[in-house]
Amino acid sequence: MQQGGGSETEVTWEDQQNINKFGRLNNRFHELEDEIKVAKESNDNLEDAGNELILTDEEVVRFQIGEVFAHVPKEEVETRIEEMKEVTSKSLEKLHEEKESVLAQMSELKQILYGKFKDSINLEED
Amino acid sequence: MATSSSSSSSAEVVTERRGIPGAQFVEDVQTYLTQTGFDCNSALAFLQERLQQYKMVEMKLQAQQRELLAKIPDIEKCLDVVATLQAKKGTGEALITDFEISEGIYSRASIEDTDSVCLWLGANVMLEYSCEEATALLRKNLDNAKASLEVLLADLQFLRDQVTITQVTIARVYNWDVHQRRLRQASPSAKDS
Repeated sequence: MQQGGGSETEVTWEDQQNINKFGRLNNRFHELEDEIKVAKESNDNLEDAGNELILTDEEVVRFQIGEVFAHVPKEEVETRIEEMKEVTSKSLEKLHEEKESVLAQMSELKQILYGKFKDSINLEED
Repeated sequence: MATSSSSSSSAEVVTERRGIPGAQFVEDVQTYLTQTGFDCNSALAFLQERLQQYKMVEMKLQAQQRELLAKIPDIEKCLDVVATLQAKKGTGEALITDFEISEGIYSRASIEDTDSVCLWLGANVMLEYSCEEATALLRKNLDNAKASLEVLLADLQFLRDQVTITQVTIARVYNWDVHQRRLRQASPSAKDS
């Protein structure tokens, strides 16, 4: 946080709580970005796996369960992959929603804090 | 002169949480300095030290968080395997799997119908459980891990709030000091004129 040039603006407990909330939201925002990246990768991998499956001739596919690769018939693997894709896309959607909400709350707080402190506070990414 | 009401500069905040001291919110810098008897430099030094302590605790908590975040998918994978074994139980066919015996080297295993699995409990101990017991144990471990993670995340949030409060207090004490210096510089010249 930037140090002001000896300004006299007092910081109330409410201001402090707003600043704390902004900090928490900012952290959550970064965590969400990472989580979204991971979920997207996982989704893409499942997509690729599904496509490979369609192309393959084999009847039995080695499907990873835990640390081992079990021999599973193709149809079952297809079903499993579909289910996993469902789960990841739902989770991805939820993450995006949360990200939007966090961003909205952050810009609201920015308005309030910049309104009171103007130049004495810096809420941008460094 | 320090004006207004405020009896003390104490905060309406939790004073500590699980061993982490809460940061005192300062209503008015002048009052805070008089109360604690600090001058600006010692106040800044004290606050900086507090900040360092917070950072240490944060690193420790983050390490614990990483541990838990690695443990949870592990437990979920185990649950998956046990569930698969149970599903295969009725069918009478063996489950054929390829597993890694060394880096890049895999071997094939045929797993017959089985009623029990062995679970690695850590500390070189492995116990045999029935499939249902294993599932129950794994689920319990998963729930515990998730609960611990939640508490940890709340601790981290609390800690970050205290860090923010301390940083803001440092900035305010510093600004107040700069302001005081300016006032002191202004008054000698006023006396001269």
